[in-house]
Amino acid sequence: MAGGLEVRGVTKRYGELVAVRDLELEVRPGEVFGFVGSNGAGKTTTMRIVLGVLVADAGQVLWADSPIGFGTRRRIGYMPEQRGLYPKMRIGEQLRYLAQLHGTSSADASAAARRWLDRFGLADRAGDEVIKLSHGNQQRVQLAAALVFDPVLLILDEPFAGLDPEAVDSMSEVLHERAAAGVPVVFSSHQLDLVERICDRVGIIQRGHLVACGTIDELRGRGPRRLWVDAPAAPPGWAAALPGVSVDRVDGTRALLKLDASVDDQDVLRVALATGPVREFRRDQPSLLDVFREAMSETRVVAAS
Amino acid sequence: MVGAEGLRTFYLIARREFMTRVRSRFFLVGTAVLMVLMAGYIVLQALVLSRATTTVDVGFVRATQALAEPLKTVAATESLNVKTHVVSDVATGDGQVESGRLDVLVSGDPASPDVTVKDDLNPTLAAALSGLVKQVALDEAIVASGANSSVIDAKVAAARIHLLVLDPNAAVRTQRQVVGIFVAVLLYVALVIYGQLVASGVVEEKSNRIIEILLSTVRPRQLLFGKVVGIGLMGFLQLLLLGAVGLIAATQTHVIDVPSVGMTAVLGALLWFVLGFTFYALIFAAGGSLVSRQEDLGAVTGPISMLIVGTYLAFFWVAANPSNPLGVLLSMLPPFAPMLMPARMATGDAQAWQVLVALVLMIGGIAAMNWLAARIYSNSVLRVGSRVKLMEAWRGRQ
Repeated sequence: MAGGLEVRGVTKRYGELVAVRDLELEVRPGEVFGFVGSNGAGKTTTMRIVLGVLVADAGQVLWADSPIGFGTRRRIGYMPEQRGLYPKMRIGEQLRYLAQLHGTSSADASAAARRWLDRFGLADRAGDEVIKLSHGNQQRVQLAAALVFDPVLLILDEPFAGLDPEAVDSMSEVLHERAAAGVPVVFSSHQLDLVERICDRVGIIQRGHLVACGTIDELRGRGPRRLWVDAPAAPPGWAAALPGVSVDRVDGTRALLKLDASVDDQDVLRVALATGPVREFRRDQPSLLDVFREAMSETRVVAAS
Repeated sequence: MVGAEGLRTFYLIARREFMTRVRSRFFLVGTAVLMVLMAGYIVLQALVLSRATTTVDVGFVRATQALAEPLKTVAATESLNVKTHVVSDVATGDGQVESGRLDVLVSGDPASPDVTVKDDLNPTLAAALSGLVKQVALDEAIVASGANSSVIDAKVAAARIHLLVLDPNAAVRTQRQVVGIFVAVLLYVALVIYGQLVASGVVEEKSNRIIEILLSTVRPRQLLFGKVVGIGLMGFLQLLLLGAVGLIAATQTHVIDVPSVGMTAVLGALLWFVLGFTFYALIFAAGGSLVSRQEDLGAVTGPISMLIVGTYLAFFWVAANPSNPLGVLLSMLPPFAPMLMPARMATGDAQAWQVLVALVLMIGGIAAMNWLAARIYSNSVLRVGSRVKLMEAWRGRQ
């Protein structure tokens, strides 16, 4: 893979508990990658291992095809799930300080701090302490803290938690901007509709293992095909008689059919037309939530990627 | 990450710690209040120490008038201020003594006068008066014998005692002891307060999770030492200001007559503050890293503070028994030396070799503590939730 971030066979145990098991993951430059999973699935642990804040028991993290080093790690923009800033430090000063800690020169740090505060509409609040800002504004400062040193990789743990729709839009706009500039962006979220809207690719993690990974379309196309068919004249049970077809749900005269891989949907259409008129014949596209639920319900699914 | 980049990171961290604290109300108001208190205390000391001169109102009738001026002169040499009054007759004088306008009435025969007081005669005045009366009697006797009284008086006046001082440094020693106690108290307060600041600074970063952001770009050791040095510099500045104010106030008010005594004490205190603070701050930082909330901090800093309190108490025992070998030994050992040694240095009891041994052991102690604290800190600073057990922090099981 040319550039980007790769997580190869990473495992992390806490005593008896296996937090992350043999995890494989890659995020390419210019990509917004959504990391989805229930609480305690291992998202934060994986992120901390990439950052070097935690040390993996096995496996490795690669950056641009070679093991990631401290020099690269210093250039990762990180937004922890539990927000972290000095509450009593002025925000302008704080951004400048964090930029400098990440290796930015003093002059560049001041300029970058100003630029990002300006961008988030906080230019006139530079002298205020973090604690005096509203929740949404604190969140903006937190994101600015991850961006202020021009990071080569962005890792954001639940960046959208507790934000109003407007703030979500402005934040996702910034993320796409950075991605367009060639920065791989990884973020975790519980809000699947949001992930569906924002991400180029999604990874679903369950009990420390990546159970599904791919573009939104790939994930939605995964699993059994389903068809909505409305054939009002058809006798009950017409579809179940077909080989490889089962009925998931019946809604009036409409039926949701599940097709095995071997079944040609055009055969189904022909059988339906033979019974009389067909008012609806539509491929059912699962939402990411459906995909997620399915992945959660299956105990083991081979990773798609 | 070593070299220039590592140093820059360390400098940035230390500078932030120093600047945010020096600009804080805690520092600005605290230092100002302490400086005022310190100067006030010294001035008060000066007032208590200076021998208070009492004034006595003494009345004389016409017959004893001749005694008035000589009494004033003699009493003055004993730091007694005599204010003389002329009284028309004994009855008036008695009345004034009764009412308290006069303390003493001298009447009758100048060679054996009647001295009237309300209840009690000032002993200095009594001695001065009787000496004076004897002189008058002697003069009269000499005149009666026909000899030349002025020649005899001159001979008497020339008679002198010769003062031989066996322990001329006693006064200096008292001053040194006062300064020694002062140094110990100051160091005790400084170590406890600044040590607590280090511990709560560590917990602050843990509790608001900025530690995760910091540790993605900074090594735990850099963060630990940056914090210790930054807060240490703030403490050093505060002690320096207090020391300067104390020294100026003490020499100006003559609480300390010998500036060199104060100077050595202040310099010794500053040196040992640097060493003691580094030692204890590392322990406080390691302790702070074990907990995640300020509320839990007391449980870990308590025992550390107790160690400092113990040292502080040991100081008083050592001060009372300056030559006890156990005290001398304690004053050279790392946990005790930062308070005991500067105090013993201030009192002048510490010998050069003892100071040297204490310094070497202290630096060794700091190196050991440095290694130990960095390990505990690195292993526990990211662990959130309940208090990390010391053994776990040591083994580093995550």
